[in-house]
Amino acid sequence: MTDYPILTLMTFLPLAGAVLILLLGGAERAREIALAVSLATLVVSAPLYWNFDKTQSGLQFVETAEWIPGWDIAYAMGVDGISLPFVLLAAMLSVLCVMVSWSSVRERVPQFFALLLLAETAMIGLFAAANLFLFFIFWELMVVPMFLLIGVWGGPARIKSAVKFLLFTLAGSVLMLVGILGLYSTCGTLDFRALAQFASQTGLDHGLQNWLFVCFLAAFAVKVPMFPLHTWLPDAHTEAPTAGSVILAGILLKMGAYGFLRVVFPVLPNAVLVFQDTMLVLSVVAIVYGAYVTVVQTDVKRLIAYSSVSHMGFVTLGLFTLNTHGVEGAVLQMINHGIISGALFLCVGMIYERTHTRAIQDYGGVARCAPVYATFLTLFCLAAAGFPGLNSFVGELLIIAGAFQNQFWLGALAIWGVVLGTIYMFWLYYRVVMGETNPRLEGLSLEINAREIAILAPLAFLAVYLGLQPGCVLSYLHETVGALVHVFAAAGATP
Amino acid sequence: MTLEWVHPGLLLILGAWVLPFLKGGSKRAAMLLLPAAAVVVCVYSGTVLSPDNYGKISFLGQQLVFGRVDALSLVFSYVFSAMSLVGMIYALHVDDDAQHVAALTYAGGALGVTFAGDFLSLYVFWELMAISSVFLVWLRRDATAVAAGFRYLLVHVFGGLVLLAGIVLYANAHGGSLTFDNLGDSQHSLAWTLILVAFLVNAAAPPLGAWLPDAYPNATVSGAVFLSAFTTKSAIYVLIRGFPGTEVLVWLGAGMALYGMVYAVLENDARRVLAYDIISQLGYMICGIGIGTQMALNGATAHAFAHIFYKALLFMSAGAVLQVTGRRKLSEMGGLYKTMPITMGLCLVGALSISAVPLFSGFVSKSMVVSATGDLDWQASLAHRNIVFLLLTVAASGTFLHTGLRLPYFMFFGEDAGLPAREPARNMLVAMGVAATACVLIGVAYPLLYWNLPHQPVDYHPYTAAHITSSLGLLAFTGLGFCLLRKQLKPQPGMCVDTDWVYRRLADPCLRVLRGPLTRFEFGFVGQIYEYVIRGPVLGVARWLCRFDSRVVDNTAMGAGRWTQMVSGKLSTLVSGNAQHYGLIMAAGVLTLIVLAMFAR
Repeated sequence: MTDYPILTLMTFLPLAGAVLILLLGGAERAREIALAVSLATLVVSAPLYWNFDKTQSGLQFVETAEWIPGWDIAYAMGVDGISLPFVLLAAMLSVLCVMVSWSSVRERVPQFFALLLLAETAMIGLFAAANLFLFFIFWELMVVPMFLLIGVWGGPARIKSAVKFLLFTLAGSVLMLVGILGLYSTCGTLDFRALAQFASQTGLDHGLQNWLFVCFLAAFAVKVPMFPLHTWLPDAHTEAPTAGSVILAGILLKMGAYGFLRVVFPVLPNAVLVFQDTMLVLSVVAIVYGAYVTVVQTDVKRLIAYSSVSHMGFVTLGLFTLNTHGVEGAVLQMINHGIISGALFLCVGMIYERTHTRAIQDYGGVARCAPVYATFLTLFCLAAAGFPGLNSFVGELLIIAGAFQNQFWLGALAIWGVVLGTIYMFWLYYRVVMGETNPRLEGLSLEINAREIAILAPLAFLAVYLGLQPGCVLSYLHETVGALVHVFAAAGATP
Repeated sequence: MTLEWVHPGLLLILGAWVLPFLKGGSKRAAMLLLPAAAVVVCVYSGTVLSPDNYGKISFLGQQLVFGRVDALSLVFSYVFSAMSLVGMIYALHVDDDAQHVAALTYAGGALGVTFAGDFLSLYVFWELMAISSVFLVWLRRDATAVAAGFRYLLVHVFGGLVLLAGIVLYANAHGGSLTFDNLGDSQHSLAWTLILVAFLVNAAAPPLGAWLPDAYPNATVSGAVFLSAFTTKSAIYVLIRGFPGTEVLVWLGAGMALYGMVYAVLENDARRVLAYDIISQLGYMICGIGIGTQMALNGATAHAFAHIFYKALLFMSAGAVLQVTGRRKLSEMGGLYKTMPITMGLCLVGALSISAVPLFSGFVSKSMVVSATGDLDWQASLAHRNIVFLLLTVAASGTFLHTGLRLPYFMFFGEDAGLPAREPARNMLVAMGVAATACVLIGVAYPLLYWNLPHQPVDYHPYTAAHITSSLGLLAFTGLGFCLLRKQLKPQPGMCVDTDWVYRRLADPCLRVLRGPLTRFEFGFVGQIYEYVIRGPVLGVARWLCRFDSRVVDNTAMGAGRWTQMVSGKLSTLVSGNAQHYGLIMAAGVLTLIVLAMFAR
């Protein structure tokens, strides 16, 4: 089954679909092609899941081809236990994004779906890239469709938000380019495996590591986003169309954290130890600060956007504890957050399509007029609040356990973040779902249709399934994370 | 999960979801069959199976035990499953699937806590109880209920997270072990304290217990019956399991017994009286746990067992009156004995049981705890022992006063308020009848209960001449006091709303002291604890940080952008298209370079 270049196919199939859509045109045809292509990509990914060898820590399904021999840069794709779940998540969320945009996008339909598929190419390519050069190309490629999705199909203040997003992201990636050039001039290669080998055998100069760390940090911290570089996120989320928000929350935010795991941790271990405390503090600040700011938001999308700042704080907290619990929890939490925040934005998008308001005060008593919708929302709110038995709980538990192992006060503040998280999630739920039906909602048919149920059902299933069987993700991570943390323990031993 | 053991809690939790798909008779049958099946499973576990750990599941490299079957978990599982059956009978006529699903999930959660052998599964069911029970409040569907439910939820979620923090710390200190057993070995560590605090939140220990009188009176009629049984008693169960013999609990329990009693005397809302009375009765159990001897733990268990039935019976009676008359306040009732004689009779059984009258259930359980104070063997034990004994005895007298006499008197007798009333639905009467039978049965055939207590053999005999005479004496004097003070004890209409009116009307200076500072403290501070401790600071800090975020953090980034825009605007004016300007700039540049080169040497 795996004798075809599966990762390359997954990456460029959507691109081909995008080209096809633009060539053929036509709104109805664009939707159908987009759905078919994104579904095909998901189907093609199946062998990854079945044939992945969980006992290996390195890259698998590697595909290489010569590209720029003069610079010793090859076209190389491959996934390991950390990137595989993201490839699958990106493929799945893309299908849902196409489905949710089915009726809500009415202008420039072919272009919209073409951009959606282009974004899928960038997402999958980024997680499947096996060298830094390719990684950077997809990193930059991702900005283009996101900028256009927000700027063209967004809400009233879309231009401002899109430009803000672009400026923040580009400021980060310029510095990353400097870092890449620095790495290349020192190590002479950009292949991830060769870089890691170089780092473990020869090792980079400590001073240089620190500089490179700062360069990469600039790019990754903006994407995560870490405090205080997060302010583009609420604006971008608020104005983006539903599919844009889902991609932002589900995948784009994970790119930064993934960058830490893929580039920074293996190659710059000493710098990570130098900056560990700073990063932990910034993470905890993001958790608590983000949660506080979330509590008083009055716009549903803005509220979920700020909650992402807090939740991604958990991810970076877990990463920089540098112990197995923390890092595994962080990766698991990235997947969980992708599912849950994606689902929440889908829920908001569905009801916005009917009410055309995002102000929380315009809602209330939704449970009465839309019981099925309310049931899904209940599940996702519970999951977002870290209810045991649902997916986020396991991730948060592992991260908190890792944080307590590192330093007591980190765990304590993380718990405080969970308390606040529960408060804002339930307060949102209470104002939207409970109580008397808001008079503004009278006469609107809020209940979701079969297509929308089909969108939410897989996410609901995953929220429950990963809560009860987190092993099905953790088993992929185990070896890879083990190797990563082991590298760290070795680097920590030599000051 | 092994096949020989079915989890009764999961049976209720999963089975509940059948109800929305059924109609009419089959739905009612399912509502009764589910809890009945849970009772059967519990009894089967106790009689056929040998005590062992069942339902072991491996999760994240941990061995989770969903079915710890031993004497202690069994006795609680009996009463929880039986109570879920009584509660469902009471709720049989209610046409609201959401309530039934929530109630069964809630009862299932309590059974899950009871059988949990490790902290992680305990935590899962603990949170499940919190979330499902709040719906029993919310589904009353008026504004006060929604708000009260929300406060209830916040407290429990907070308690749950304290528990989680404690569990994580405990596991870290014990090499990752999550086994839940007596925590005495890590006494006074942070993990121990956090877990204790979390349990005490659910046990409604003041000042963490303000949620109870806040939420229960606002619950639905049948919801309050379930609420009265499960949350606090499952907390008692985990305290017996994890914290027997913790000295601080003796004082806390004695204090609670008195605290709940005082506010129950002052209260006017019928279900609030009962809610405060729960706190008082929990005080006995917690005191027993603190004493920690075998007899004391048996007493706490027995009292929890008996308490569930009589308190549910009283909540059912108050709920029946509420449903029929629509009145919550004692001051607006009276004279209902004419129209609701059966309800009155059953309510009296509950009142006599709670007052520990011989032949009723409270008599054989409460006195066990009180007698166990004699086992106290601390330093300077005699004085302490006597104080605790005195506190518990005073509280017992107070219980008879407010729930045994005052509640039924002003509800069913007293001045006739002339309310149109009738007996409630038949299923409600049946449920109350079952609970009343249990109360009498426990009181008369007490060995049935004693045989199932965790520590065997039970060397305690309630029906001794001394015990009977002393309790009758206490009751008689309390009854005399009630007759004398009846006017002063009359419920005041404005009591829990605002105290201003009350001050001017009260004759009794002693009660004035109680109603003045104490009422203000309770309703002005403890009742408002959410406002001061949760809502105020959280929202205040949140608003401030939100302003900070938009004004400082965001403006720094946006300011950098504006600055760049300004500078590039200025720079763009340099591009004038005038060759002379360019020449001038070039010349200046070359000159600067030359100067730099000269000085660089």
